[in-house]
Amino acid sequence: MRTRIPILKLRDTLIVSIQWELDDQMALSFQEDLLNKLHSTAARGVVIDLTSIDFIDSFIAKVLGDVISMSGLMGAKVVITGIQPAVAITLIELGIRLEDVSTALDLENGLEKLERELED
Amino acid sequence: MNVTLASYIRENLNPILESWKQFMEEEEEGKFFQIMSDDMIDSTAHELGELMIFSLTENNQEFARKVEEFSVKMARHGWSISFVMKALTNFTEAIYHHMGQTGFLNDNNSGNYIRLINNWLTPLNHSIVEAYSKTWERTVQLQKMALQELSASLIPVFDKISVMPLVGTIDTERAKLIMENLLQGVVKHRSEVVLLDITGVPVVDTMVAHHIIQAADAVRLVGAKCMLVGIRPEIAQTIVALGINLNDFTTTSTLQRGMEQALAITNRQIVEVEEQ
Amino acid sequence: MSIESSVDIITEWDIVAARQLGRNEAKEVGFGTVDQARITTAISELARNIYLYAGKGKITIERIADGAMKGIVIIAADQGPGIPDLRKVMEDGYTTSGGLGAGMPGVKRLMDDFKVDTEVGVGTTITATKWLR
Ligand SMILES: Nc1ncnc2c1ncn2[C@@H]1O[C@H](COP(=O)(O)OP(=O)(O)OP(=O)(O)O)[C@@H](O)[C@H]1O
Ligand SMILES: [Mg+2]
Repeated sequence: MRTRIPILKLRDTLIVSIQWELDDQMALSFQEDLLNKLHSTAARGVVIDLTSIDFIDSFIAKVLGDVISMSGLMGAKVVITGIQPAVAITLIELGIRLEDVSTALDLENGLEKLERELED
Repeated sequence: MNVTLASYIRENLNPILESWKQFMEEEEEGKFFQIMSDDMIDSTAHELGELMIFSLTENNQEFARKVEEFSVKMARHGWSISFVMKALTNFTEAIYHHMGQTGFLNDNNSGNYIRLINNWLTPLNHSIVEAYSKTWERTVQLQKMALQELSASLIPVFDKISVMPLVGTIDTERAKLIMENLLQGVVKHRSEVVLLDITGVPVVDTMVAHHIIQAADAVRLVGAKCMLVGIRPEIAQTIVALGINLNDFTTTSTLQRGMEQALAITNRQIVEVEEQ
Repeated sequence: MSIESSVDIITEWDIVAARQLGRNEAKEVGFGTVDQARITTAISELARNIYLYAGKGKITIERIADGAMKGIVIIAADQGPGIPDLRKVMEDGYTTSGGLGAGMPGVKRLMDDFKVDTEVGVGTTITATKWLR
């Protein structure tokens, strides 16, 4: 049996807190689940919290980047929160800048930021 | 060690040291001694002499301790390795010079004595140089550590705003350390804006710029904003001349300006209050 | 003196096993969190490359000591197709699979030493070392 990542809905925002190390399949099914949920709820924003994640390799980085672009196509803004210092450093050294990704220190700041961005 | 030779050197140590000092003063117009006071020259010469005598009389262990002591002192005085080598060479010279003058060395015994003296001085010189370079390495290592600590602390100034002043030259190793402290500090203090102050960085070349850009990118990933402040005119010139692109960055010339902008970003400002 | 452990890479799950092994080893050697993340990430990249491009292979993690220095060596070995154009592969963004092309040049940056032995039709062995400072 495979664990799926729970996706919560708070008003018109989806909140995803990733609590376990992601294997490739889990990352891909997360992508699918999130897009389905966006479609069924018509949410306008997504916060993905990575506080518990202690490393991200190029595969997971690509999945994350793809999720953000795909969500954008479906009219939703994504904010990534809680990237750990060690994770940020390895991403940069890998050469992955996640250039257009919107980030915040933690879930709370992320929700605020999303609210502000959706107002504009 | 030959008994006659040993007692000769012991008895004539003072004049030998005198001519050693003279040799050292002649060295590139006394360049070596210019930085030292007369007292210091005398006491150093005296110590060197004692060390030499010591090697004639004491056992190896005692001697090793003395050599170590002496080399630590030299390193503290900031003597360079070439200076130390010069001093040792000149000491040998001074011995031969004095022996020639007093007639201790003559055509009959010179071959024998030169061999004896070499057997005494060569290992002595080696152990001094070795002890010295060890001490020097340790000193450099300590300085490096001190510099690393000095240069990489994040200071929380206001709620949500921190400053990291960078001082000194940035190499790859230091850049990694700076990045780690920067990110850990940002997360720990929950800083939303961090000002990297490069007023104290003497040169910004492409390598340094690259490290700064990477640090700012990483700061963005953890969810904060990085501003570059303290850009002096000559640094601005080199950055443009080298074709380094800092367009994605907020940069300001002074820390003060940067701070005003940081406050604006976090929806705050400094106002003067009227006196009551 | 060296302690060695390894994971055969056959299924996707083995990638997870390899990087967990790597993280534990890195912790035991005494690496800090940032270096642990670097080592884990490097293993993940190399293991996934084996799975994707060679089908199967092996990740070996070795603890080493050289005088006062301690460290970890990752050896990723396969008998796959080999890499025909190594120079291109080491460029950022080069990929034959629609990935980010960050893996190989990235691993080189994450680790202290990085060496590739590859022969077309014979296989690839990549050795990457991280020293504890
Ligand atoms: N073990 C291997 N055997 C054969 N070819 C390999 C091997 N490892 C890498 N390659 C080749 O090198 C290319 C670059 O690898 P690299 O890991 O840098 O990027 P990627 O795997 O394509 O994308 P990413 O790792 O960013 O998801 C691959 O596309 C593949 O063609
Ligand atoms: Mg790869």
